Order: sequence, then structure tokens, then C-alpha cells
Amino acid sequence: MEVTMDPLFLAWSYFRRRRFQQCSDICSKILEDSPYDQAAWSLKTRALTEMVYIDEVEVDQEGIAEMMLDESSIAQVARPGTSLRLPGTSHGGGPTPAVRPMTQSGRPITGFVRPSTQSGRPGTMEQAIRTPRTASTARPVTSASGRFVRLGTASMLTNPEGPFIHLSRLNLSKYSQKPNLSKTLFEYIFHHENDVKNALDLAAQATEHAQFKDWWWKVQLGKCYYRLGLYRESEKQFRSALNHQEVVDTYLYLAKVYQRLDQPITALNLFKQGLDRFPGEVTLLTGIARIHEEMNNITSATEYYKDVLKQDNTHVEAIACIGSNHFYTDQPEIALRFYRRLLQMGVYNCQLYNNLGLCCFYAQQYDMTLSSFERALALVANDEEQADVWYNIGHVAVGIADLTLAYQCFKLSLAFNNDHAEAYNNLAVLELRKGRIEQSKAFLQTAASLAPHMYEPHFNLATLSEKIGDLQSSYIAAQKSEDAFPEHVDTQQLLKDLRQHFAVL
Amino acid sequence: MSLFKARDWWSATLGEGEEFDQGCLCVGDVDNSGTGHDKVVVGSYMGMLRVLSPHSSKAGEGPQSQADHQLLEVQLPHPIIQVEVGKFVSCSDQLHLAVLHPRKLSVYAVSGTAGNVEHGAQYQLKLVYEHNLQRTACNMTSGPFGGVTGHHSVCIQSMDGMLMFFEQESYSFGRFLPGFLLPGPLAYCPRTDNFLTVSSTRQLESYRYETLAVATEAESRQDPELPLKTGGKRLTPDWTVILGEAALDLSVPSFSHASSSICVLGERNLYCFRDNGQIRFMKKLEYNPSCFLPYASVTEGTTNLLLGNHNNMLLVYQDVTLKWAAQLACVPVAVRVANFSELRGVLVTLSSEGHLQCSYLGTDPSFFSTPKVDAREVNYEQLDAEMKTLQRFIREATRTQDILPKADTEEALTVTTTVSSSMDTPSQALIQDIDGLSVPSVTVKVKVKSSCVLQGSKLTISVSSPLAVSQDQFTLEPMGVGSSTVVAFSAFLNGHYPPADLTGDIALSYSSPTELNPKGVPRVHQSRFDLPLALVCMSTSPAKSAKHKITVDTNKPPVNLTAVFPEFYEKSEESDGNSLAVQFLSGARVTVLASKTSQRYRVQSESFEDMWLVIKELVQRFEHHFIKQGVKDIRHSFTAPLPLPEYFQTVDHHFQLRVSAQHYQDLLAERAVQFRAIQRRMLTRFKDKTPAPLQNLDTLLDATYHQLMALADAAEENRLLLEQAFVRLRSSTHLLVLLLCLWQGLAPDQTNILEATLLPLLQDTPTLGWEESCDAAVSHLLRSCLSRSPKDQATSLAQSTGPMLGLPADTSRLKKHITLLCDRLGKGGRLTLASEANVQVPVQVQTLVRPGGVEPIAEAAGDTEDPPLAQDAAKFIKKKQPSKKAKKGLVQ
Repeated sequence: MEVTMDPLFLAWSYFRRRRFQQCSDICSKILEDSPYDQAAWSLKTRALTEMVYIDEVEVDQEGIAEMMLDESSIAQVARPGTSLRLPGTSHGGGPTPAVRPMTQSGRPITGFVRPSTQSGRPGTMEQAIRTPRTASTARPVTSASGRFVRLGTASMLTNPEGPFIHLSRLNLSKYSQKPNLSKTLFEYIFHHENDVKNALDLAAQATEHAQFKDWWWKVQLGKCYYRLGLYRESEKQFRSALNHQEVVDTYLYLAKVYQRLDQPITALNLFKQGLDRFPGEVTLLTGIARIHEEMNNITSATEYYKDVLKQDNTHVEAIACIGSNHFYTDQPEIALRFYRRLLQMGVYNCQLYNNLGLCCFYAQQYDMTLSSFERALALVANDEEQADVWYNIGHVAVGIADLTLAYQCFKLSLAFNNDHAEAYNNLAVLELRKGRIEQSKAFLQTAASLAPHMYEPHFNLATLSEKIGDLQSSYIAAQKSEDAFPEHVDTQQLLKDLRQHFAVL
Repeated sequence: MSLFKARDWWSATLGEGEEFDQGCLCVGDVDNSGTGHDKVVVGSYMGMLRVLSPHSSKAGEGPQSQADHQLLEVQLPHPIIQVEVGKFVSCSDQLHLAVLHPRKLSVYAVSGTAGNVEHGAQYQLKLVYEHNLQRTACNMTSGPFGGVTGHHSVCIQSMDGMLMFFEQESYSFGRFLPGFLLPGPLAYCPRTDNFLTVSSTRQLESYRYETLAVATEAESRQDPELPLKTGGKRLTPDWTVILGEAALDLSVPSFSHASSSICVLGERNLYCFRDNGQIRFMKKLEYNPSCFLPYASVTEGTTNLLLGNHNNMLLVYQDVTLKWAAQLACVPVAVRVANFSELRGVLVTLSSEGHLQCSYLGTDPSFFSTPKVDAREVNYEQLDAEMKTLQRFIREATRTQDILPKADTEEALTVTTTVSSSMDTPSQALIQDIDGLSVPSVTVKVKVKSSCVLQGSKLTISVSSPLAVSQDQFTLEPMGVGSSTVVAFSAFLNGHYPPADLTGDIALSYSSPTELNPKGVPRVHQSRFDLPLALVCMSTSPAKSAKHKITVDTNKPPVNLTAVFPEFYEKSEESDGNSLAVQFLSGARVTVLASKTSQRYRVQSESFEDMWLVIKELVQRFEHHFIKQGVKDIRHSFTAPLPLPEYFQTVDHHFQLRVSAQHYQDLLAERAVQFRAIQRRMLTRFKDKTPAPLQNLDTLLDATYHQLMALADAAEENRLLLEQAFVRLRSSTHLLVLLLCLWQGLAPDQTNILEATLLPLLQDTPTLGWEESCDAAVSHLLRSCLSRSPKDQATSLAQSTGPMLGLPADTSRLKKHITLLCDRLGKGGRLTLASEANVQVPVQVQTLVRPGGVEPIAEAAGDTEDPPLAQDAAKFIKKKQPSKKAKKGLVQ
């Protein structure tokens, strides 16, 4: 039996159940009949915003322009352990690249890909443009472009008749006087339209109207300033908001500002302050753990990830990070338990099976290794993942001394991803064993140019060049290897030999 | 993400295509059975009202038992947006059911009569009273408003922000909320007698019931434009807290009398406030919540709550700590805790589509099970066959294509050089005649034939001085596949002394574009050509006697020189075939005499170095001649003592010129200093304000200038002489090397070493000259492979760090060393670079000499004491894991 319901109520109910498209459709109908229905207008605005909403705390895309044209750098040579830009300056406890691979910016590879894992300060423009293999997409040119713009245009497509709200025709000062509309409108402008400047205008007028007493507007002002790259101003707003009312989000935003300003210690203190107020808050604990991880202080990071698990034992990031830490500290059996836990929790993707396969291999559970990789291959989503899985299979093949298989695996890996520097390196070693010096050298050079942050290709090239008597190239390559990994003993030895040799000449 | 799923105790799907939301579920002992067991009341947007009493189904019961669980199902004429159980009827302690329709509030009594037959009890719904509403209702809350005990009042919030209060059967009053836009959740706090809502301004607002009661009457404010009536007060909230987000649900659990807390489920955060608006705790949610229910306080001061989210999860929190996470079958829109006859504390969840589930927490693994990989039935024979085919393909592929392009086996182009057999007429030479002899020139044609596309080709020709060519650089047009280009140029003598070498080098640089690289890969092709001897000399009459004589023996019968040197016999009439004489254009006359009986040839000349070209030509032509005749084992030898004194004369001459060049350099420097000093002094004179006499400084300057110029001229002359001397030195060194080879019959590899030792430089420079570099090389050979004993080798090599190379004081040391070298060679010394103690430099040389020599390195590294390559091979291979997780959003 058909029963009639108030359309606005139905839309409101749909909104609560997160059926935003239906909600927006009903609101459009209401607005056709009565274009000045503020309630419907507001509800539709909210629905459109929610469709594209991304938590601003997690959004952290540092564009090339921001990074390279950063003028707010204070100390180029920061004291050890006080900067995120000098990743090598860990105070002990950090793993060496020989044990745990590094990312392009020189941090140990983390167990969980999140937007900020590709941040870090590249030294050169060339490095900045290059897409790190661990990140899925290229870095946008500026943070104003990139994902936000794409979201904006996507929302245009859903409304073929044009945007829902014409920002240029809005009288912002009128709306800022209406506290029941302005917040919704702000979120729409900020998240849906991604028009930070108008959002900032609205927020500035609204906070004035609220007599600077509404902490929420201050947080929004801070968000706008952050997007515009005015970090000091945004810090001021967040601080002021915290004075009014302490909210978890404000702590997170402020810590994000400090990380962007390269003040990890301040960010850590802030997180701890936040934890005093909100004990056991998972997001704050995760924030601390991430900073420790980025500063190469893996021991502390693991401690905090464990704290996270005490609060929320289903936290995927914490489980994955602890698992990968165990894997890289030579405890594959324990890592295996963590990954199995993830599997039981319903994480079902290529990466997990890949990691399971590796753990099984190192834990000498050979029967599971290949079937895990088989599943990983069945689950790959893109070519990069496929290349990584084949690379790891090749690695296992090297481990069981099936060099033909290894050779083919590395070749496959390169077929899927032409920029796989690790595969080039290993292929070079295999080629060298076959006695094909030229091929090997070419692969090593390719690997070195693709991933200058890895020390292996440099060191291999140095050893190879030294063997065939090209001492100059050997020396240059050894120096690069030393830059990438200063503590590497074999490189030191090689350099010493070479220097002695040159002195003799 | 959860390890376990909620264990299903009882579940039902209500209706088809019906919609449910937050308010549509409530539990309570609605039929007042008195047992304390709850019934589940569900109303749908389609107007269906159901009362259910779930109990665990026994095995063997069919769909009939399902009907047994459903106590009541009524189709009401209006949509049901909320159901509540409470004491809504005055003068009755019984629980009644309040059903909120958009425009009506109805209160029903549910009663059951025990049946006599097996089918069980019969239930009835009886309308007690109803209120028609003026405005569209949105939600309602009930409670003992105003602190009355015993029965519950109802407060309904309308879609346009009016709160309507009903005391059982009567309507008491209505109030508009200030600043209203969209309705938020509504709750009543009995302890403080406050109404709580989250308004569109995104703040939690608390209104006292008393304030509401005395505020302006809503009905009188229909038109907001009208000024307020004086009868009531303006409605202001008791307190507000800014949340900054809209709320999904609001609940005021009260577990103790001392305090009550207010729990707010926001869209992104969970808040808990004290009843005076102070924040107790908050938690940022990393997912989209759908519903929540604070249900108990297990320990003092904490609140336990259930929270459903849009990832089909039901989470149990104690304050902010996650205690349990369970997987549900669908997204819950409402959750309640109920006590049933068999089980207490059952979770009742309702989904938007009407899936009602009663479950409890248990350690059933989550029902996600990994799908099977499409495993094929293993047929080993078939697999083997497939494997073999694939292996064959792979092998084929690795042979034909690779990541790196294989070095081209066939050259992209061929360069053929033709030196014309006759001299040019007229001659192209720049110096037309030397000592009355006209200088000839010869045309060289270079033909470039390409087998692929060539771009930007440049051809460069180089001949050793004093030879010259008419044009030494050519830029070729881009060439297509199979096309060919010919360039021609003339070569001639351009100096007053014979050259040391008659070969010329051609270098062709080009780029061959590929598909991927349209600009082309730069490549270089090199080839050589030989100029005829007749270019620098001409035949003349033989001279009977000469200062220098060299005799070359062969092991074959003598040949007629006319056959070997046809071009020199064209003009001369007397051709006995036993003698040949050539006159170098700028040098001496060289005579070749062939013995009629023995297998000897004598070359004699007034000048030692000029014999080189002739002897070289002689040896080459003889070999050529005999190979043409099919004789293989032609061997030349040389027995006479080496002409070292003559050689050393050339060396001395060269050295003398170098010394004088040095001398001129010093003198020039000295004069230049003097010149500048005079200039400086004159300048100060001229700049002086009070002019002083020049004191003949100008004369001095003039004289010094002349001296400078004269010195420079002399130095330039010396340089030319030095160049000439070096060419002579090269000639004679070549001759010496040739003679040494002939003398000892050295193999080609040893000849190469010897040549590299004695002729280390192609050009003399003031800083590094031939003498010192040759001396260094010779002494190294003497110390290493030609030393007397291996023990010596070791000791001498250890102290081999010599001083810097520089112009030696005299040549005696060099001469001594060269003599010693010849001596040792004569005693059977063997030139080799692979001596045992040799570890440093020779590896380089060896690779240069024998390109195949690098092959065994990889193996050698494996079994010698120097293992980095082999040992580290495993280590280099990075343990590398790809991104562990994709984005967070993907995995949750």
C-alpha cells in the first residue's frame, strides 16, 4: 500500500542513512517547487558535501611547487632528531637500509600506505617530479590542483545543469549572519567546490559575527590558511580555537601544521598534551607513532602502535606497521601472526597475501609461500602491484637457488613496471653471474638512475667496475653508495682500498 | 574489520520493499505480560506495525514457527516514523505503545489473550487515544516531564522546529525553537528536566522544561515578522556547546542517581557530556557511524555503548576503549538491547531494508572466507607439456629480444676507402716542389654505404704530419637505407721531412634513429687507409755506398724487386731487379739491394730514420707477395747488431731540441718579467704629477721588446724543428721496434707491448715528453717481466713509486735502459704482462689488449680469496615489500 510521506522528512531520513543521491534528488524536487526553501537547500548542500567529504586531517598532499619553492625553511642543518628533513639522523634504534629498504626520501618503508608517506623533502626538482614507487599517484604540482580539482569537476558532472550553488552570486556577508546556514555553506564551499578563498571570506565574516567566540570557525579559518600555505596564521587560529574548547580534531590539525613546518618535536608535545586531555585517543596515538616512524625511530613507533592496539585492537594501520617491523627485524613468524590477524579481520588484498608469502618464506613455511603468492597474483589491482609480487617471487626463487625462475620473475616484474629499480638491480646480479658484464653494468646503471636512494646498485656497480679495472667509475659509484648508506661496511672497505690504490698511483 | 561476527540468535526479514529508520525499532514489555521479557516493536515507513517475540527456534520447525514469533502485524493507514513504549495513558500503570505518524500521534494498548488451542495466544491492538498534528512530525521523546511520576508525557518535534507537548490525552503547549532550520535528534534528561537537541547551528542546546513552558506561545507567533507579544519570554537555551557537526543521535542514559551523562553521536565524533554541558570524553570516529546506544555502566564512572557503523560493524566501547567488534550482516539503523525469555541482553538490530536480527557476541569467526583461487585439476603430464612449450617460447624470446638491445652484429654502415693508384695531375699539394722535386698528391675516395637511416653524419680524416689532406672534414647529407655517398680528397706531403707513418684515420660520427629515440643514438665508425709510398718519394738511381746499412734475411728465395715495387720501375729504364733506389722528397736517398744468390736484402741510406718507411714497405710487400704465391711460412730475420748508436743520435737530437725549447721558455719568461718591470716603472713616471725625465727607459723598453720578439721567433723555429725531430724519432723508433721483432722473431702480442712501451705518446708536449714516459715504461718492463729473478720483481715492484715524470737531465739513463732492454730481449726475455706479482696496472692493460680477458672474472671472484661479488650477490637482492596496504579507505 502506498503511503505518502513528507518529502523533506524522507530526504532527511535518507541523509541520516547516507543515501545522499536520493536525498539530493528529493531536495532538488522540493527546490523546484519552492526555490526559497532554506531547509531543503541546506539539506541538499549537506548531502552534496558528504558525497565528496574527505577528512581534512588525512588530506596531506604536498605539491611540487610548495616543496621546491618553500621559503619558510628555517634551519637548513637541523640538529639530529629534530627534523623530518634529515631522515638519517635517528638516535639509534633505526634499522639500516641493509635490513629494511628505504623510500626515496630516505625513510624506512612503512607498513601502511597513507597520503603522507610520500611526503618528505626531495633534494632536487628531478626527484620531486619522479613518482615514488610506493605511492600510487604522482605528486600534484601544487596542492591546490591534484585531487581537489578532480573532485570538483566530478561533482559538476553529476549536475549537468550546472553547479548547485553559484559561488560568485552568493552574498557571503548575508549568509555569514545566519549561523544555522553558514556552517553548512562553508563546508560545501570548502569540500565540494574546493574554493578556499571564498571559504576563507565566509569564515572570516562568520567568526566576526560570532564575536570570535566560536572555536569551530577558528578551526575552519585555520584549515583555509593551511590550504593556502599560511602555516603561521593557521597555527594562530588553531591555538586560539584550543583555548575555547579542546577538541581532538584541533589537536590533529595543529600537529599537521607543525609537521609541515618541520617541527616534529613540537608536534609530539602537542599530541601528548592532547592525550592528557583525551586519554587513549587512537588518532592522537597514531599521530605520535607516525612521527616516530618518519623520524626513523622505529622502537618508539612500535611502542605507540602497541598503545593504539590496546585502545582499538582492530586498528589495521597499527597491526600492519607492527607486522612489518617484526618482519624487518628478522622475526617473520611473529610478523606472520600479525598478517594472519589482518586476514582474519577481512583484509583481503594483494599486498597482504604478498606479505604473507614473504613471511612464510622467511619463516620456512615453504608450503604456504607459493600459494600465498598465487593468491596475491590473483588479486592484483594494477601493474605496479603485479610487478612487486613478481619481484618478490623472484626473490624467493633466488632464495631457493632457482636462478632461471628468478631471472624470469625479474624480467616479468620489469615487463609490468619498467621503473622497478630493485628488479633491475637483482637482474644485474644474475646477469653478472652469467658473465654478461655489459648487460649487468647497464642494468645497474639503470637501477642507480631510477632509484638514487638505494645503495645496492651503486655498491654493485662499484664492485663490478673495480673488478674490470674501471677504478674511476668504481670510486664514483662507491661514493654514491656511501651517500645513500654511510654505515655500509663493504662500501667503506671498497673506498679505503680505492683510495689507497690512488695514493699508490 | 573485525575478527568475529555477531552470533545470530534469531533473525527475520520484515516485509518486502519496506523502509525503516532510526525510530522504527523499540523494545519493551509492550503487552504487559509481567514476565519482564521484552517484545520487539517495529514500525515501517509503509505503515506496517509489527510486534515480535523472538525465541530460539528449535530444530525441525519450519516457516510456521516464524509465524509463531510474530505476535501482531497491523497495517496502519499512515507511515510510522517512530514507536515508543511508555506509560502514556493516565490513570493506568500499564505500558502503552505510542506510534508517531507524520500528522498524527496514536497511543495503542497491546493485549494478549491466552488461547485454548495449540496455536497459542491471541494479540490485539486497541487504540486508546490519538492526536492529530497541525505540523509534520519528525521525532518525539517521552519522559516524566516536569518531574511528575507515574506516567510519561510526549514531546514531538515537527519538521519546522516546533516542540509540541502532550500530557497523555491532552495537548499542553507548543514552542518554536529559536534559529531552527533542520530538525536534529531530541532527548529528554529526566534528572535536570531538560530537553536536548543538536540544532542546525551545530551546537548541543539544552532547554529547561520550565523555560519552555513560560516562553512565548508558538501559535501566536505564526508570522515571524510580527513583534513578540509581551505575554511570554523569549526562548533561550539553558546552555549550549558547539559541536561543529550535525548529530545523528542523542541519548541520555542514566545509570546512577548522582549524575547522568549526555551522549551525542556526531557524524564524525562521539561525545559524552555531563548534564551541565561539560565534556566528559570524546572520540574521533574513523568510520561513518549509523546508530548507537549507551546501554550500561559496567564499572563506576564509565559508560558502555554500542555503536553501529556503515561498514556492517557493531562496536562495543567502554568510554573510548574498544572492547569488542563484531561483524553484522547489514548496516544497522537502530540498535537496542532486549531481554527475552531464554536469553538476556540480546542485541536487536534493524537494517534500513527491514532485516531484524537478534544476536549475541561470540567468537564465531567473521563470515568472510577467502574465495578459492581458480585451482585447476592438476594433470602433471599436461602441465609438463605446457611447461615445455612455454620454456621453448621463453628461450626463443630471450634469444631474439631482450630489455637491452644487443650490440649490432652487422654494422649500420660500411666505409670503403679507395686510394687511387696513380698520382693526381695536376698535383693538389700546397708546396709545389721541394728541392726541385715536384710534390705529388693522391686522391682518396671514401664511400659510405649505409644499411639503415643515418642522420647528422660527419666524416673526419686525420693523417699524421707532415702529411696533409685537401679537406679533413665532411658533413654528409642524411642517408636512407641502402644509399651511399662518396667523398673524395687529396693527400700530399706538406713539410720538408718525411712522415713517420703513411696511414690515415677516418672517423665517421653519425646517429641512427630508432622508433623510441627519433633523435638517434650517436655512434662512431672508424677505419684506416694506407697512402702509397710513392707519395713521399720517387725513384732514383741507386747509390753504391751509404752511411747506414741494414740487412734483412728471409727464408725464401730472392724475388725480383720489379715485381714487388712495380711503381718505382715504371720510369727507370735499367731494371735489373736487384736494386731499387728511392729519393725522399725532402730527405735522403734509400737504396734497396737484393742479393742475387743469398736470400738477403740490404737497405742503405745516408739517413737512419728514412729507411723505416722503405723497410716496412719491403717487409709488408714481401709477405703480401709470398702469400699471393701461396707460400705460408715466410719469415724475415735480422742478425746484425742493432743500430742502437744511430738510434741514440736521433734521441739525442730530439732531446737537445727539447732542452733548448725549455731554455727559450726560461729566457722568454725572464725577458717578459723585465719588460713588465720597465713598463711599470714608466707608468709611474708618466702618472707622476711632476714630470721627471725618462732616463732612457723608453730605449730600454724598446730593446727588451726586440729581444722578446727575437726570442719568440727563435722559440717558434725551435718548435718546428722539434716537431720534425719527433717525427724522425718516431720513424727511427718504429724501425728499432721492427728490427727487434725481426731479430727475436717476436709474436704480435709482444710487438704490441714493445710498441706501447717505446712509443707511448703520439705528441710531444712541453710538460710531458717522450723521453721520460718511454723511460718509465722501459724501466717498468725491466723491473717486471724482464727482471733477472722473480724475487727481484717483487722487491722492485714494491718500491715502484717513482718520482713525478719530468724532463730528465740527460738521456744517458734512458739509453742505458734501452740498451738493457735490447740486451734482455736478446737473451730470450719474454714480454708479458701477466707476471705473478703483477696486480695493479696490468689488469687494465690486459682488458684493453684482450677483450676476452674479462670473461673469467665472475668465476674467479667466486673461488679466490676476494669474494665480494659472489658472496654479496645474495645480499644485494633487496628484501622488498610493496606497499603493505592500499589506502586506508580501501581496506575498511
